[in-house]
Amino acid sequence: MRLSGAGYLIKQGVRNILNNNIASVATFCVLTVSLLIVGFTALFTLNINSFISGVEDKNEVVIFLTDDADDNYIEELGNKLRADSNISDVVFWSKEEAFDDLKSSMPDAEDIFGYIDENPLPDAYRIKIKDISQMSSTLYAINSYSHIEKVKAPYDFVNILTGLKSAIMVVCVVIFFSLMLVCFVMISNITRASVEMRHREITIMKYVGATDGFIKVPFFIEGLTLGILAGVLASLLTFVGYDRLIALLSTETTLFSAMGSSGFIPLSTFMWKLAVIYIAAGALLASIGTVGSVKKHVKV
Amino acid sequence: MIELRNVSVTYKNGVDALNDVSLKINDGEFAFVVGESGAGKSTLIRLLTREVKADERADVKSVLRVNGFDLMKMKQRDVHKLRRTIGFVFQNFMLIDSMTVYDNVAFVLRCIDAPTKYIRKRVPQVIGLLGLQDKANRYPGQLSGGEQQRVALARALVNNPQLIIADEPTGNLDPRTSVEIVKLLKEINDRGTTVLMVTHEHELVKRMGGRLINIRKGEISFDDRI
Repeated sequence: MRLSGAGYLIKQGVRNILNNNIASVATFCVLTVSLLIVGFTALFTLNINSFISGVEDKNEVVIFLTDDADDNYIEELGNKLRADSNISDVVFWSKEEAFDDLKSSMPDAEDIFGYIDENPLPDAYRIKIKDISQMSSTLYAINSYSHIEKVKAPYDFVNILTGLKSAIMVVCVVIFFSLMLVCFVMISNITRASVEMRHREITIMKYVGATDGFIKVPFFIEGLTLGILAGVLASLLTFVGYDRLIALLSTETTLFSAMGSSGFIPLSTFMWKLAVIYIAAGALLASIGTVGSVKKHVKV
Repeated sequence: MIELRNVSVTYKNGVDALNDVSLKINDGEFAFVVGESGAGKSTLIRLLTREVKADERADVKSVLRVNGFDLMKMKQRDVHKLRRTIGFVFQNFMLIDSMTVYDNVAFVLRCIDAPTKYIRKRVPQVIGLLGLQDKANRYPGQLSGGEQQRVALARALVNNPQLIIADEPTGNLDPRTSVEIVKLLKEINDRGTTVLMVTHEHELVKRMGGRLINIRKGEISFDDRI
């Protein structure tokens, strides 16, 4: 293709946007709103996951050892625990520390502690589980070691959290894909209406010997331009809206802090990635929608 | 040149639109195609432009050639090459309302990726040939029916086609303008372009004279000069 021909096609694509201003505005608005809805759903999912991960980090398992465990074994067990990929924060909690902690937690019972000659508490390890969905298998392995008196773990808490996480993920994925489908159908319908209006133009092009590619290019340029513009606007609105939403949720609700949140995902960590995804998704949705709508008309 | 030998067209719904048609129109000829509604005129046009395909039959060897292209063997991706050798004129003009006369005519050359220099030279030439030089910057809505059809003729001519297919070009025009348009087609034909004109208007055909092809129930019932 000649350079002048390529220039003409690009010019036609941009001119189509201006000539079909109502359809262009409708496509642009639907695209922007769709990207925002899908984007905010994704951000909501990511934040919920982040919150749950924050809560997960607060899990603690205490491994009580029998009195006959000597120092060498205690050290060996500590090394084994540190070597486990699903365990983090391995802290030895000696019987003396445990007794001191107990005493300090019961300041009014000092007299009672005076009657105790020997520390009855066991040595223990306090550990944290990285992936709580794998907690059972990790604890099963720990229980198989010798000199383990008891393993105290927040089983109920873990079950609720794992179930909650799975349920939220399923709901969000369903919502996400349903929204994507709805967006695609809406965009296809709007672009189809816009293409229908230019049926005569396409028919003439076919009759005078234009190739299918030549006919589709201006529509592709049109969809691409609208998609990119919608992606840029959706990015800007998300950047502004996300910070405000965080500010609002932080001041108006205590839900997230009550859940033991590790905080919202900061805008700076995903800003540019999100902008690229928005623009790419907008361009892809609009150009595929537009070119797809032309397909029927080029069969002349 | 158009050559059909034992060509039939059967639509998917089972309708036999053309039945074993044989026909030859030489380069530089002018032929009228007449026939009642549903006789097969439109199918003939659609066949020549490869909008529909001829039946492929094991018992009969069909031949279908237009401007040197073998349409029996033509692949869909090559159809645009055939159409670049044909100029079309439609009953409803089929002009793009948002384009000026100049742009409507230039549109054809732009669609086939002609050089800008050539477009700037060729379009005014053809517009002048059809007496539209004063209307070049007008839009179709600002022109009369006859003028719009002349623009359509200019558009059909601009690519120097070997064949012009005019499908009821006078259907929306008054008798005086109709004669004017057919005279223009004759002039184009005099310059060597083959013209195939489909029409309902028997009176007009009688008045202009020439080769007449009558299609009846999918078959050629008459083909001679009048």
